[in-house]
Amino acid sequence: MTRAEPAIRVSIEQKVFPAIADRPEHVVLAGVELTIERGSFVVLTGPSGCGKSTMLNIVAGLDTEYEGAVVFGEDTAKLAFMFQTPRLLPWRTVEENVALVLDDDTPNPTEKVAAILLRVGLSEAANAYPERLSLGMQRRAALARAFVIEPDILLMDEPFVSLDDPSADSLRALLIELWNRRPTTVLFVTHDRIEAVMLATRLIRLGGRPAHIVQDTGVDLSPDERLDREKVLAWRMRLFENA
Amino acid sequence: MALENQTVGTGRVGRGIVGSVLIGRLGWTLISFLTLIALWALVAALLQSRLFPGPLEVGAKFASEAASGELAYHVGITLARVAVAFFLAMVIGCAIGIALGVAKGADQFFDTWLIFFLNLPALVTIILCYVWFGLTEVAAILAVAINKIPNVAVTVREGARSLSRDLDEMATIYRFGTWKTLRHVTIPQLAPFFAAAARGGLALVWKIVLVVELLGRPNGVGHQLHIAFQLFDVPMILAYAIAFILVVQIIEIGVLQPLEARVNRWRR
Ligand SMILES: Nc1ncnc2c1ncn2[C@@H]1O[C@H](COP(=O)(O)OP(=O)(O)O)[C@@H](O)[C@H]1O
Ligand SMILES: [Mg+2]
Repeated sequence: MTRAEPAIRVSIEQKVFPAIADRPEHVVLAGVELTIERGSFVVLTGPSGCGKSTMLNIVAGLDTEYEGAVVFGEDTAKLAFMFQTPRLLPWRTVEENVALVLDDDTPNPTEKVAAILLRVGLSEAANAYPERLSLGMQRRAALARAFVIEPDILLMDEPFVSLDDPSADSLRALLIELWNRRPTTVLFVTHDRIEAVMLATRLIRLGGRPAHIVQDTGVDLSPDERLDREKVLAWRMRLFENA
Repeated sequence: MALENQTVGTGRVGRGIVGSVLIGRLGWTLISFLTLIALWALVAALLQSRLFPGPLEVGAKFASEAASGELAYHVGITLARVAVAFFLAMVIGCAIGIALGVAKGADQFFDTWLIFFLNLPALVTIILCYVWFGLTEVAAILAVAINKIPNVAVTVREGARSLSRDLDEMATIYRFGTWKTLRHVTIPQLAPFFAAAARGGLALVWKIVLVVELLGRPNGVGHQLHIAFQLFDVPMILAYAIAFILVVQIIEIGVLQPLEARVNRWRR
Protein backbone atom coordinates (compact mmCIF):
# COMPACT_ATOMS: atom_id res chain seq x y z
CA MET A 1 0.00 0.00 0.00
CA THR A 2 1.69 3.18 -1.13
CA ARG A 3 1.50 6.53 0.49
CA ALA A 4 -0.24 7.97 -2.56
CA GLU A 5 -3.19 5.63 -2.18
CA PRO A 6 -6.25 7.73 -1.26
CA ALA A 7 -7.64 7.25 2.23
CA ILE A 8 -11.26 6.93 1.13
CA ARG A 9 -12.95 6.46 -2.20
CA VAL A 10 -16.67 7.20 -2.06
CA SER A 11 -18.96 6.37 -4.91
CA ILE A 12 -22.65 6.64 -4.21
CA GLU A 13 -24.71 5.99 -7.31
CA GLN A 14 -27.94 6.40 -5.46
CA LYS A 15 -29.32 6.51 -1.95
CA VAL A 16 -33.06 6.09 -1.67
CA PHE A 17 -35.14 6.31 1.48
CA PRO A 18 -38.22 4.14 1.09
CA ALA A 19 -41.66 5.57 1.71
CA ILE A 20 -42.66 5.76 5.35
CA ALA A 21 -46.07 6.78 6.64
CA ASP A 22 -47.08 9.98 4.83
CA ARG A 23 -43.70 10.48 3.13
CA PRO A 24 -43.19 9.09 -0.36
CA GLU A 25 -40.03 7.31 -1.42
CA HIS A 26 -37.28 9.83 -2.15
CA VAL A 27 -33.81 9.83 -3.65
CA VAL A 28 -31.49 11.75 -1.33
CA LEU A 29 -28.09 11.32 -2.96
CA ALA A 30 -27.20 10.53 -6.55
CA GLY A 31 -23.92 10.46 -8.41
CA VAL A 32 -21.68 11.39 -5.49
CA GLU A 33 -18.07 10.60 -6.44
CA LEU A 34 -15.36 11.62 -4.02
CA THR A 35 -11.75 10.64 -3.50
CA ILE A 36 -10.16 11.79 -0.27
CA GLU A 37 -6.38 12.00 0.09
CA ARG A 38 -4.65 10.88 3.22
CA GLY A 39 -4.25 13.50 5.89
CA SER A 40 -6.65 15.94 4.27
CA PHE A 41 -9.29 17.78 6.24
CA VAL A 42 -12.37 17.64 4.06
CA VAL A 43 -15.32 19.78 5.10
CA LEU A 44 -18.72 18.96 3.70
CA THR A 45 -21.34 21.72 3.62
CA GLY A 46 -24.75 22.09 2.09
CA PRO A 47 -28.30 23.12 2.97
CA SER A 48 -29.97 21.49 5.92
CA GLY A 49 -31.69 18.25 4.99
CA CYS A 50 -29.75 17.78 1.76
CA GLY A 51 -28.14 14.51 2.83
CA LYS A 52 -24.85 15.32 4.58
CA SER A 53 -25.51 13.08 7.59
CA THR A 54 -26.82 10.39 5.29
CA MET A 55 -23.56 10.48 3.35
CA LEU A 56 -21.46 10.38 6.50
CA ASN A 57 -23.41 7.37 7.80
CA ILE A 58 -22.79 5.60 4.52
CA VAL A 59 -19.04 6.31 4.72
CA ALA A 60 -19.05 5.12 8.34
CA GLY A 61 -20.69 1.86 7.35
CA LEU A 62 -23.68 2.54 9.60
CA ASP A 63 -25.94 2.69 6.55
CA THR A 64 -25.48 -0.11 4.03
CA GLU A 65 -28.72 0.35 2.11
CA TYR A 66 -27.39 2.24 -0.90
CA GLU A 67 -26.12 1.65 -4.41
CA GLY A 68 -22.41 2.22 -4.74
CA ALA A 69 -19.25 1.54 -2.78
CA VAL A 70 -17.02 3.00 -0.12
CA VAL A 71 -13.43 1.79 -0.19
CA PHE A 72 -10.75 2.61 2.32
CA GLY A 73 -7.03 2.83 1.54
CA GLU A 74 -6.39 0.19 4.16
CA ASP A 75 -8.62 -2.73 4.96
CA THR A 76 -7.98 -2.19 8.61
CA ALA A 77 -8.62 1.55 8.64
CA LYS A 78 -9.53 2.58 12.16
CA LEU A 79 -12.61 4.75 12.24
CA ALA A 80 -13.75 7.30 14.78
CA PHE A 81 -17.03 9.18 14.58
CA MET A 82 -17.96 12.29 16.48
CA PHE A 83 -21.72 12.62 16.30
CA GLN A 84 -23.94 15.65 16.54
CA THR A 85 -24.79 14.65 20.12
CA PRO A 86 -21.92 13.40 22.31
CA ARG A 87 -23.37 9.87 22.60
CA LEU A 88 -21.46 9.10 25.77
CA LEU A 89 -22.65 6.27 27.97
CA PRO A 90 -24.37 8.12 30.82
CA TRP A 91 -23.76 5.23 33.25
CA ARG A 92 -19.99 5.25 32.73
CA THR A 93 -17.63 7.96 33.90
CA VAL A 94 -15.78 10.16 31.43
CA GLU A 95 -12.65 8.09 31.96
CA GLU A 96 -14.51 4.81 31.42
CA ASN A 97 -16.20 6.18 28.31
CA VAL A 98 -12.83 6.98 26.78
CA ALA A 99 -11.16 3.77 27.94
CA LEU A 100 -13.97 1.59 26.56
CA VAL A 101 -13.18 2.36 22.92
CA LEU A 102 -9.62 1.11 23.24
CA ASP A 103 -8.92 -2.39 22.00
CA ASP A 104 -8.46 -4.91 24.79
CA ASP A 105 -4.82 -5.46 23.82
CA THR A 106 -3.86 -1.77 23.86
CA PRO A 107 -0.67 -1.30 25.90
CA ASN A 108 -0.87 1.12 28.86
CA PRO A 109 -4.53 2.00 28.43
CA THR A 110 -4.68 3.97 31.69
CA GLU A 111 -1.82 6.26 30.70
CA LYS A 112 -3.28 6.76 27.25
CA VAL A 113 -6.64 7.77 28.63
CA ALA A 114 -5.08 10.09 31.21
CA ALA A 115 -2.94 11.74 28.54
CA ILE A 116 -5.81 12.46 26.18
CA LEU A 117 -8.03 13.71 29.01
CA LEU A 118 -5.25 16.08 30.04
CA ARG A 119 -4.97 17.27 26.46
CA VAL A 120 -8.69 18.11 26.21
CA GLY A 121 -8.74 19.63 29.69
CA LEU A 122 -10.88 17.01 31.39
CA SER A 123 -8.44 15.58 33.94
CA GLU A 124 -10.51 17.00 36.79
CA ALA A 125 -13.71 15.54 35.41
CA ALA A 126 -12.28 12.08 34.71
CA ASN A 127 -14.46 10.45 37.35
CA ALA A 128 -17.62 12.44 36.68
CA TYR A 129 -20.66 10.99 34.99
CA PRO A 130 -21.36 12.69 31.64
CA GLU A 131 -24.80 14.05 32.48
CA ARG A 132 -23.33 16.11 35.29
CA LEU A 133 -21.12 17.97 32.81
CA SER A 134 -21.93 20.88 30.51
CA LEU A 135 -22.53 20.12 26.84
CA GLY A 136 -19.15 21.68 26.02
CA MET A 137 -17.38 19.30 28.39
CA GLN A 138 -19.34 16.32 27.07
CA ARG A 139 -18.19 17.28 23.59
CA ARG A 140 -14.61 17.41 24.83
CA ALA A 141 -15.02 13.90 26.18
CA ALA A 142 -16.41 12.76 22.83
CA LEU A 143 -13.42 14.37 21.12
CA ALA A 144 -11.04 12.60 23.49
CA ARG A 145 -12.82 9.34 22.79
CA ALA A 146 -12.45 9.88 19.04
CA PHE A 147 -8.73 10.65 19.27
CA VAL A 148 -7.69 8.10 21.87
CA ILE A 149 -7.86 5.25 19.38
CA GLU A 150 -5.53 7.18 17.04
CA PRO A 151 -7.93 6.78 14.12
CA ASP A 152 -6.95 6.65 10.49
CA ILE A 153 -10.22 8.28 9.57
CA LEU A 154 -12.24 10.68 11.66
CA LEU A 155 -15.82 11.44 10.71
CA MET A 156 -17.53 14.40 12.34
CA ASP A 157 -21.18 15.39 11.96
CA GLU A 158 -21.74 18.98 13.09
CA PRO A 159 -19.89 18.22 16.30
CA PHE A 160 -19.89 21.80 17.58
CA VAL A 161 -23.50 22.90 17.06
CA SER A 162 -25.58 24.38 19.87
CA LEU A 163 -22.51 25.54 21.79
CA ASP A 164 -21.93 29.15 22.76
CA ASP A 165 -19.25 30.89 20.67
CA PRO A 166 -16.38 30.68 23.18
CA SER A 167 -16.95 26.97 23.79
CA ALA A 168 -17.19 26.24 20.10
CA ASP A 169 -14.05 28.31 19.42
CA SER A 170 -12.01 26.54 22.06
CA LEU A 171 -13.20 23.13 20.84
CA ARG A 172 -12.23 24.04 17.28
CA ALA A 173 -8.81 25.18 18.48
CA LEU A 174 -8.47 21.89 20.32
CA LEU A 175 -9.44 19.92 17.24
CA ILE A 176 -6.85 21.79 15.16
CA GLU A 177 -4.21 21.13 17.81
CA LEU A 178 -5.02 17.42 17.97
CA TRP A 179 -5.11 17.19 14.20
CA ASN A 180 -1.73 18.94 13.82
CA ARG A 181 -0.21 16.67 16.41
CA ARG A 182 -1.43 13.60 14.64
CA PRO A 183 -2.63 14.21 11.09
CA THR A 184 -5.71 12.13 10.39
CA THR A 185 -7.99 12.02 7.41
CA VAL A 186 -11.05 13.99 8.47
CA LEU A 187 -14.46 14.23 6.90
CA PHE A 188 -16.27 17.01 8.71
CA VAL A 189 -19.89 18.06 8.17
CA THR A 190 -21.06 21.54 9.12
CA HIS A 191 -23.47 24.20 8.00
CA ASP A 192 -21.40 26.95 9.64
CA ARG A 193 -19.59 28.53 6.67
CA ILE A 194 -16.98 30.29 8.76
CA GLU A 195 -16.15 27.11 10.63
CA ALA A 196 -15.92 25.32 7.29
CA VAL A 197 -13.23 27.64 5.92
CA MET A 198 -11.37 27.75 9.22
CA LEU A 199 -10.91 24.01 9.35
CA ALA A 200 -10.85 22.74 5.79
CA THR A 201 -7.95 21.93 3.54
CA ARG A 202 -10.62 21.02 1.03
CA LEU A 203 -14.15 22.33 0.90
CA ILE A 204 -16.99 20.39 -0.67
CA ARG A 205 -20.52 21.63 -1.10
CA LEU A 206 -23.48 19.35 -1.66
CA GLY A 207 -26.57 20.68 -3.37
CA GLY A 208 -29.40 19.93 -5.73
CA ARG A 209 -32.13 17.37 -5.54
CA PRO A 210 -31.06 14.61 -5.30
CA ALA A 211 -27.89 16.02 -3.78
CA HIS A 212 -24.54 15.76 -5.51
CA ILE A 213 -21.24 17.63 -5.28
CA VAL A 214 -21.73 21.17 -6.64
CA GLN A 215 -18.43 22.67 -5.52
CA ASP A 216 -15.01 21.27 -4.63
CA THR A 217 -12.15 23.65 -3.74
CA GLY A 218 -8.87 23.55 -1.86
CA VAL A 219 -8.43 26.02 0.98
CA ASP A 220 -4.91 27.47 0.93
CA LEU A 221 -4.99 29.52 4.11
CA SER A 222 -2.08 29.27 6.53
CA PRO A 223 -2.70 28.10 10.10
CA ASP A 224 -2.43 31.68 11.39
CA GLU A 225 -4.78 33.06 8.77
CA ARG A 226 -7.38 30.48 9.74
CA LEU A 227 -7.59 31.86 13.25
CA ASP A 228 -8.19 35.37 11.88
CA ARG A 229 -11.92 35.88 11.33
CA GLU A 230 -11.37 38.72 8.83
CA LYS A 231 -9.08 36.62 6.66
CA VAL A 232 -11.52 33.72 6.75
CA LEU A 233 -14.39 35.99 5.72
CA ALA A 234 -12.32 37.54 2.94
CA TRP A 235 -11.46 34.10 1.60
CA ARG A 236 -15.12 33.19 1.56
CA MET A 237 -16.00 36.36 -0.35
CA ARG A 238 -13.42 35.54 -2.98
CA LEU A 239 -14.88 32.06 -3.32
CA PHE A 240 -18.29 33.54 -4.07
CA GLU A 241 -16.89 35.95 -6.64
CA ASN A 242 -15.15 33.13 -8.46
CA ALA A 243 -18.13 30.84 -8.39
CA MET B 1 -29.72 13.86 23.74
CA ALA B 2 -33.35 12.89 23.99
CA LEU B 3 -32.62 9.20 23.76
CA GLU B 4 -29.63 9.18 26.01
CA ASN B 5 -31.48 11.04 28.72
CA GLN B 6 -34.43 8.85 29.23
CA THR B 7 -35.13 7.57 32.67
CA VAL B 8 -37.73 5.34 34.07
CA GLY B 9 -39.96 6.16 36.99
CA THR B 10 -38.27 4.09 39.59
CA GLY B 11 -37.19 5.42 42.96
CA ARG B 12 -34.25 7.74 42.61
CA VAL B 13 -31.96 8.06 45.57
CA GLY B 14 -29.41 10.83 45.55
CA ARG B 15 -26.29 10.06 47.53
CA GLY B 16 -26.01 13.19 49.64
CA ILE B 17 -29.55 13.43 50.88
CA VAL B 18 -29.95 9.78 51.83
CA GLY B 19 -28.66 10.24 55.38
CA SER B 20 -30.90 13.05 56.56
CA VAL B 21 -33.98 11.74 54.79
CA LEU B 22 -33.49 8.31 56.32
CA ILE B 23 -33.50 9.60 59.89
CA GLY B 24 -36.62 11.66 59.27
CA ARG B 25 -38.37 8.77 57.62
CA LEU B 26 -37.32 6.31 60.29
CA GLY B 27 -38.77 8.58 63.00
CA TRP B 28 -42.10 8.83 61.24
CA THR B 29 -42.19 5.11 60.55
CA LEU B 30 -41.69 4.40 64.26
CA ILE B 31 -44.45 6.78 65.37
CA SER B 32 -46.85 5.46 62.78
CA PHE B 33 -46.02 1.87 63.73
CA LEU B 34 -46.49 2.41 67.46
CA THR B 35 -49.84 4.11 66.84
CA LEU B 36 -51.02 1.11 64.86
CA ILE B 37 -50.03 -1.27 67.70
CA ALA B 38 -51.77 0.93 70.28
CA LEU B 39 -54.95 1.03 68.21
CA TRP B 40 -54.81 -2.73 67.80
CA ALA B 41 -54.41 -3.22 71.55
CA LEU B 42 -57.33 -0.87 72.26
CA VAL B 43 -59.71 -2.62 69.87
CA ALA B 44 -58.68 -6.04 71.23
CA ALA B 45 -59.28 -4.89 74.81
CA LEU B 46 -62.74 -3.58 73.91
CA LEU B 47 -63.80 -6.68 71.95
CA GLN B 48 -62.44 -9.25 74.39
CA SER B 49 -62.83 -11.96 71.72
CA ARG B 50 -60.86 -15.14 71.23
CA LEU B 51 -60.95 -14.37 67.51
CA PHE B 52 -59.35 -10.93 67.88
CA PRO B 53 -56.24 -11.36 70.04
CA GLY B 54 -54.22 -8.32 71.14
CA PRO B 55 -50.55 -7.61 70.42
CA LEU B 56 -49.37 -9.28 73.63
CA GLU B 57 -51.05 -12.59 72.87
CA VAL B 58 -49.79 -12.58 69.29
CA GLY B 59 -46.32 -11.60 70.52
CA ALA B 60 -46.30 -14.56 72.90
CA LYS B 61 -47.31 -16.92 70.11
CA PHE B 62 -44.62 -15.41 67.88
CA ALA B 63 -42.03 -15.97 70.62
CA SER B 64 -43.02 -19.60 71.23
CA GLU B 65 -43.09 -20.41 67.51
CA ALA B 66 -39.70 -18.74 67.13
CA ALA B 67 -38.28 -20.60 70.14
CA SER B 68 -39.43 -24.00 68.86
CA GLY B 69 -37.76 -23.33 65.51
CA GLU B 70 -41.05 -23.84 63.69
CA LEU B 71 -41.20 -20.24 62.57
CA ALA B 72 -37.70 -20.18 61.11
CA TYR B 73 -38.27 -23.53 59.40
CA HIS B 74 -41.47 -22.56 57.63
CA VAL B 75 -40.36 -19.02 56.79
CA GLY B 76 -37.11 -20.47 55.46
CA ILE B 77 -38.93 -22.95 53.23
CA THR B 78 -41.19 -20.24 51.87
CA LEU B 79 -38.19 -17.99 51.29
CA ALA B 80 -36.42 -20.71 49.34
CA ARG B 81 -39.49 -21.24 47.13
CA VAL B 82 -39.77 -17.51 46.56
CA ALA B 83 -36.10 -17.30 45.63
CA VAL B 84 -36.18 -20.15 43.12
CA ALA B 85 -39.47 -19.11 41.51
CA PHE B 86 -38.39 -15.48 41.39
CA PHE B 87 -35.04 -16.31 39.83
CA LEU B 88 -36.63 -18.56 37.21
CA ALA B 89 -39.29 -16.01 36.36
CA MET B 90 -36.75 -13.19 36.06
CA VAL B 91 -34.38 -15.10 33.80
CA ILE B 92 -37.08 -16.49 31.50
CA GLY B 93 -39.19 -13.31 31.59
CA CYS B 94 -36.21 -11.07 30.77
CA ALA B 95 -35.14 -13.29 27.89
CA ILE B 96 -38.65 -13.28 26.43
CA GLY B 97 -39.02 -9.54 27.00
CA ILE B 98 -35.75 -8.69 25.27
CA ALA B 99 -36.51 -10.98 22.33
CA LEU B 100 -39.97 -9.47 21.86
CA GLY B 101 -38.72 -5.91 22.26
CA VAL B 102 -36.01 -6.35 19.66
CA ALA B 103 -37.86 -8.48 17.08
CA LYS B 104 -41.00 -6.73 15.83
CA GLY B 105 -42.38 -9.77 14.03
CA ALA B 106 -42.10 -12.02 17.06
CA ASP B 107 -43.72 -9.33 19.16
CA GLN B 108 -46.73 -9.10 16.88
CA PHE B 109 -47.11 -12.85 16.81
CA PHE B 110 -46.71 -13.50 20.53
CA ASP B 111 -48.60 -10.48 21.81
CA THR B 112 -51.84 -12.46 21.98
CA TRP B 113 -50.15 -15.23 23.95
CA LEU B 114 -48.78 -12.72 26.39
CA ILE B 115 -52.21 -11.15 26.94
CA PHE B 116 -53.65 -14.62 27.52
CA PHE B 117 -51.09 -15.49 30.19
CA LEU B 118 -51.25 -12.03 31.76
CA ASN B 119 -54.97 -12.43 32.33
CA LEU B 120 -54.93 -16.07 33.39
CA PRO B 121 -55.94 -16.06 37.07
CA ALA B 122 -53.13 -17.22 39.35
CA LEU B 123 -55.41 -19.76 40.96
CA VAL B 124 -56.09 -21.44 37.61
CA THR B 125 -52.38 -21.85 36.87
CA ILE B 126 -51.79 -23.27 40.33
CA ILE B 127 -54.65 -25.77 40.13
CA LEU B 128 -53.69 -26.89 36.63
CA CYS B 129 -50.04 -27.34 37.59
CA TYR B 130 -51.03 -29.51 40.56
CA VAL B 131 -53.48 -31.49 38.43
CA TRP B 132 -51.00 -32.07 35.63
CA PHE B 133 -47.76 -32.53 37.59
CA GLY B 134 -49.05 -33.76 40.94
CA LEU B 135 -48.66 -32.15 44.34
CA THR B 136 -44.90 -31.76 43.92
CA GLU B 137 -42.30 -29.12 44.58
CA VAL B 138 -41.68 -28.73 40.85
CA ALA B 139 -45.34 -28.12 40.16
CA ALA B 140 -45.50 -25.55 42.96
CA ILE B 141 -42.52 -23.56 41.75
CA LEU B 142 -43.58 -23.83 38.13
CA ALA B 143 -47.00 -22.46 39.00
CA VAL B 144 -45.49 -19.42 40.71
CA ALA B 145 -42.99 -18.78 37.92
CA ILE B 146 -45.62 -19.04 35.19
CA ASN B 147 -47.71 -16.46 36.99
CA LYS B 148 -44.85 -14.07 37.12
CA ILE B 149 -43.13 -14.51 33.74
CA PRO B 150 -45.64 -12.51 31.65
CA ASN B 151 -45.34 -9.47 33.94
CA VAL B 152 -41.55 -9.53 33.74
CA ALA B 153 -41.64 -9.99 29.98
CA VAL B 154 -43.99 -7.05 29.44
CA THR B 155 -41.92 -4.71 31.59
CA VAL B 156 -38.60 -5.68 30.02
CA ARG B 157 -40.10 -5.60 26.53
CA GLU B 158 -40.84 -1.93 27.10
CA GLY B 159 -37.17 -1.34 27.83
CA ALA B 160 -35.92 -3.37 24.90
CA ARG B 161 -38.23 -1.44 22.55
CA SER B 162 -36.70 1.83 23.60
CA LEU B 163 -33.04 0.85 23.34
CA SER B 164 -31.07 3.78 21.98
CA ARG B 165 -30.09 3.46 18.35
CA ASP B 166 -27.63 6.31 18.82
CA LEU B 167 -25.63 4.38 21.39
CA ASP B 168 -25.84 1.24 19.33
CA GLU B 169 -24.27 3.07 16.38
CA MET B 170 -21.57 4.42 18.67
CA ALA B 171 -20.77 0.87 19.79
CA THR B 172 -20.63 -0.28 16.17
CA ILE B 173 -18.24 2.49 15.13
CA TYR B 174 -15.88 1.83 18.02
CA ARG B 175 -16.04 -1.92 17.47
CA PHE B 176 -17.34 -2.88 20.88
CA GLY B 177 -18.32 -6.38 19.81
CA THR B 178 -21.18 -8.39 21.26
CA TRP B 179 -20.00 -8.85 24.81
CA LYS B 180 -18.82 -5.28 25.41
CA THR B 181 -21.99 -3.88 23.87
CA LEU B 182 -24.17 -6.09 26.03
CA ARG B 183 -22.32 -5.24 29.20
CA HIS B 184 -21.77 -1.51 28.78
CA VAL B 185 -24.52 -0.39 26.42
CA THR B 186 -27.52 -2.72 26.46
CA ILE B 187 -27.80 -3.99 30.02
CA PRO B 188 -27.37 -0.57 31.67
CA GLN B 189 -30.22 0.72 29.53
CA LEU B 190 -32.39 -2.19 30.63
CA ALA B 191 -31.38 -2.04 34.30
CA PRO B 192 -34.24 0.25 35.38
CA PHE B 193 -36.67 -2.10 33.68
CA PHE B 194 -35.08 -5.14 35.36
CA ALA B 195 -35.42 -3.32 38.68
CA ALA B 196 -39.06 -2.44 38.05
CA ALA B 197 -39.78 -6.02 37.01
CA ALA B 198 -37.99 -7.39 40.07
CA ARG B 199 -39.79 -5.09 42.46
CA GLY B 200 -43.26 -5.67 41.05
CA GLY B 201 -42.43 -9.32 40.66
CA LEU B 202 -41.31 -9.97 44.19
CA ALA B 203 -44.50 -8.50 45.63
CA LEU B 204 -46.50 -10.84 43.41
CA VAL B 205 -44.39 -13.94 44.02
CA TRP B 206 -44.66 -13.61 47.80
CA LYS B 207 -48.43 -13.71 47.63
CA ILE B 208 -48.73 -16.51 45.11
CA VAL B 209 -46.27 -18.73 46.96
CA LEU B 210 -48.54 -18.65 50.02
CA VAL B 211 -51.52 -19.79 47.96
CA VAL B 212 -49.45 -22.54 46.35
CA GLU B 213 -48.35 -23.75 49.79
CA LEU B 214 -51.86 -23.59 51.14
CA LEU B 215 -53.20 -25.74 48.32
CA GLY B 216 -50.56 -28.40 48.04
CA ARG B 217 -47.44 -28.28 50.17
CA PRO B 218 -46.79 -29.91 53.58
CA ASN B 219 -44.71 -26.97 54.87
CA GLY B 220 -44.08 -23.25 54.48
CA VAL B 221 -45.90 -20.21 55.79
CA GLY B 222 -48.88 -20.87 53.53
CA HIS B 223 -49.26 -24.37 54.95
CA GLN B 224 -49.04 -23.09 58.53
CA LEU B 225 -51.72 -20.52 57.78
CA HIS B 226 -53.89 -23.32 56.42
CA ILE B 227 -53.53 -25.33 59.64
CA ALA B 228 -54.20 -22.27 61.76
CA PHE B 229 -57.30 -21.55 59.72
CA GLN B 230 -58.66 -25.04 60.35
CA LEU B 231 -58.10 -24.60 64.11
CA PHE B 232 -59.33 -20.98 64.08
CA ASP B 233 -55.98 -20.17 65.72
CA VAL B 234 -55.96 -16.43 65.06
CA PRO B 235 -52.80 -15.63 67.12
CA MET B 236 -50.88 -18.10 64.98
CA ILE B 237 -52.22 -16.57 61.75
CA LEU B 238 -51.16 -13.13 62.91
CA ALA B 239 -47.79 -14.31 64.21
CA TYR B 240 -46.93 -15.79 60.80
CA ALA B 241 -48.31 -12.78 58.98
CA ILE B 242 -46.05 -10.51 61.03
CA ALA B 243 -43.01 -12.71 60.49
CA PHE B 244 -43.77 -12.63 56.80
CA ILE B 245 -44.09 -8.84 56.65
CA LEU B 246 -40.83 -8.48 58.57
CA VAL B 247 -38.90 -10.69 56.18
CA VAL B 248 -40.30 -8.93 53.12
CA GLN B 249 -39.38 -5.53 54.55
CA ILE B 250 -35.87 -6.64 55.46
CA ILE B 251 -35.30 -7.82 51.90
CA GLU B 252 -36.84 -4.64 50.49
CA ILE B 253 -34.73 -2.28 52.61
CA GLY B 254 -31.64 -4.39 52.93
CA VAL B 255 -31.30 -5.70 49.38
CA LEU B 256 -33.59 -4.11 46.80
CA GLN B 257 -33.27 -0.45 47.75
CA PRO B 258 -29.46 -0.39 48.01
CA LEU B 259 -29.28 -2.28 44.72
CA GLU B 260 -31.50 0.26 43.03
CA ALA B 261 -29.53 3.17 44.46
CA ARG B 262 -26.35 1.62 43.14
CA VAL B 263 -27.73 1.02 39.68
CA ASN B 264 -28.99 4.60 39.52
CA ARG B 265 -25.95 6.36 40.92
CA TRP B 266 -25.01 7.94 37.58
CA ARG B 267 -28.25 9.84 37.26
CA ARG B 268 -28.22 13.57 37.75
N1 LIG C 1 -34.19 7.20 8.20
C1 LIG C 1 -34.71 8.04 7.29
N2 LIG C 1 -35.84 7.69 6.64
C2 LIG C 1 -36.37 8.52 5.71
N3 LIG C 1 -35.85 9.70 5.35
C3 LIG C 1 -34.73 10.10 5.97
C4 LIG C 1 -34.10 9.29 6.98
N4 LIG C 1 -32.99 9.93 7.43
C5 LIG C 1 -32.94 11.09 6.74
N5 LIG C 1 -33.96 11.19 5.87
C6 LIG C 1 -34.21 12.28 4.94
O1 LIG C 1 -33.09 12.41 4.09
C7 LIG C 1 -32.79 13.76 3.85
C8 LIG C 1 -31.35 14.04 4.25
O2 LIG C 1 -31.21 13.97 5.63
P1 LIG C 1 -29.83 14.26 6.37
O3 LIG C 1 -28.77 13.44 5.74
O4 LIG C 1 -30.03 14.08 7.81
O5 LIG C 1 -29.61 15.80 6.04
P2 LIG C 1 -28.47 16.80 6.58
O6 LIG C 1 -27.59 16.06 7.49
O7 LIG C 1 -27.80 17.29 5.35
O8 LIG C 1 -29.20 17.92 7.25
C9 LIG C 1 -33.78 14.58 4.62
O9 LIG C 1 -34.81 14.98 3.74
C10 LIG C 1 -34.31 13.63 5.64
O10 LIG C 1 -35.63 13.93 5.97
MG1 LIG D 1 -27.31 16.29 9.61
